Amino acid sequence: MTTGGFRAGNSAGAMLLAGLLALAAATPAAAEGRVTVVTPYLAQPGTQFYVDGFKAAAAEEGWEVNVIDTAGDIAAAVARIEDAVTQGVDAIVINVDPAQVEAGLAQAQAAGIPVVGMDAGMHPMLATNVTSNGYAMAVETATYIVNRIGGAGNVVMFVFDPFPPVQMRGVIADAIFANHPGITVIDRVTPDVQDGGIADSRAKMEAILAANPEPGSIAAVWAAWDQPALGALQAIEAAGRAGEGIVITGIDANPQARDAIAAGGNFEASVAQDFIGIGRTAAGAVARLLAGETIREPVIYVPTRLITAANVAE
Amino acid sequence: MRRLRRYGTLIGFAGIVAAFAVLLPDTFLTTRNLLNISQQVSMLAVVAFSMTLVMAMGDFDLSVGSMASLAGVTAAAMFQAGHPVPAGILAALAVGLAGGLLNGVLVAWVGILPFVATLGTLTMFSGAAFVVSDGRTIFGRDIPEPFAAFARGGVEVAGVTLPALTLAALGVFLVVWVLLEHTAFGRRLYAIGGNAEAARLAGVPVARLRIAAFGLTGLGAAAAGLMYASRVASANPTQGAGLMLDAIAAVFLGMTMSEEGEPRVHATLVGVLILAVLANGLTQLRVDSYIREILVGAIILAAVGAAGLGRILGR
Repeated sequence: MTTGGFRAGNSAGAMLLAGLLALAAATPAAAEGRVTVVTPYLAQPGTQFYVDGFKAAAAEEGWEVNVIDTAGDIAAAVARIEDAVTQGVDAIVINVDPAQVEAGLAQAQAAGIPVVGMDAGMHPMLATNVTSNGYAMAVETATYIVNRIGGAGNVVMFVFDPFPPVQMRGVIADAIFANHPGITVIDRVTPDVQDGGIADSRAKMEAILAANPEPGSIAAVWAAWDQPALGALQAIEAAGRAGEGIVITGIDANPQARDAIAAGGNFEASVAQDFIGIGRTAAGAVARLLAGETIREPVIYVPTRLITAANVAE
Repeated sequence: MRRLRRYGTLIGFAGIVAAFAVLLPDTFLTTRNLLNISQQVSMLAVVAFSMTLVMAMGDFDLSVGSMASLAGVTAAAMFQAGHPVPAGILAALAVGLAGGLLNGVLVAWVGILPFVATLGTLTMFSGAAFVVSDGRTIFGRDIPEPFAAFARGGVEVAGVTLPALTLAALGVFLVVWVLLEHTAFGRRLYAIGGNAEAARLAGVPVARLRIAAFGLTGLGAAAAGLMYASRVASANPTQGAGLMLDAIAAVFLGMTMSEEGEPRVHATLVGVLILAVLANGLTQLRVDSYIREILVGAIILAAVGAAGLGRILGR
């Protein structure tokens, strides 16, 4: 028996201590506002843009921001919200369904620390939630179609009512098309989305094209999100009917949709959320709360942007 | 000196706590924060305690994380179908026990290496979780209020509310501790871990014990999955995935404290607490979450490496 074990055991402890002290030294001193951002979804592109926008605005304010990514772990997000409360930060920003982290929100509320949602969902324990207006996005594309087809013609709609954020888009498009007597909605399709929505939408659109063989018998395709619009585009091109001037619109402006719009074919428009703007506006909400203001609106909407061939390259 | 070697990890743990206490004088060693930590770690603790049962035999269970997910969505799907809370909980625990016994049968009777057998069932349980939940997160009105309220509730003792999740983890700890330290069952598991062949020749029913131990580990994983679902008031087919590696890490950290390198459940408790205290303290110190992960990994390696070196040098 030698002292080897003692040395080894102690060196582990010493290493831990040294590491922690080095970290503490590296930690900047407390600034004017200390804000913790908690999300399980930082690996997703949208979330990265929110966080970038938030950090840029926070840097202008001179806040000290700590971004915590729990890599998909919701319980860890609850734990980190609790830690931020314990630490006594001035505000917390979350990008996770508030209903799932309610245990953490309750502690923040008890400690009087405001929590702002960054595209998180509406919740009574949030000071406010900053997001895009799903209704407004549908207004953009439905009115685009009405204007492009001169308020008259047959329109095919792709909707998905079981999912509330998409269902609300369909409701708006229904109202706008119904407001134009010359427009007839000849089909309101709910595609099977198990494969992502493109393949089944294409099959459904092929059937509709077969049922409406006359050129000009379909004036436009309005899709509640981009995948069905892409499926409809494939069907129209494969049927050799790309030259009929059928106008297609989607929503979300995902990369594949942007490519299709840039190509200048039938897929003419989609709507992009302003992710950076959501981050910046969330910082604006935090600034208002830190200034002592009570934010009356439970949701703050950030304007979205219609994407067409004219601005898709930007 | 022998004692100091054995307690090297414990000294390290005390060092971590002391460092945080110094660096976070106002917030770290408060009752609230300590209760928070106990609650934050309760789910991992339950998985790690029950993992100790199979690791006592020198085996592994890689399927605990996906079993936790499966149990959570099983209960939630039962609630969604209109069944009462106890029925959902019982169904989830039954799935856990059955999945664990399946692991045991594959290892003990079919003779597949635990690593491979539980890797296979990990994939199966994960797939089943997607099937049961239809790939979706089950939340909102589908989760009954009493189920979600459990994780937010607690028992008030002398003016302090002990969180229900903490008490649940303590309960599992006591059960596993009694089983491993105070029953013939536990002694035989360690005998199998020491030398399975010798144990068999000495008349220990190795196969049956292995199946039972795996069954209990599955049951523990399901319990942790239920605690997780209650904590986040929702169930998602992947939410338990992170528990498995942390649980194994906690048991290994604990094993550094044992003279023979055996997993003991009270040592696993220290391992679990080290991980939880690091996560809590480093967050409060505003350490970047990715740097935190590198650090936690390095600390596990430092502790296990130091203990291994100590054993070699001490010989």
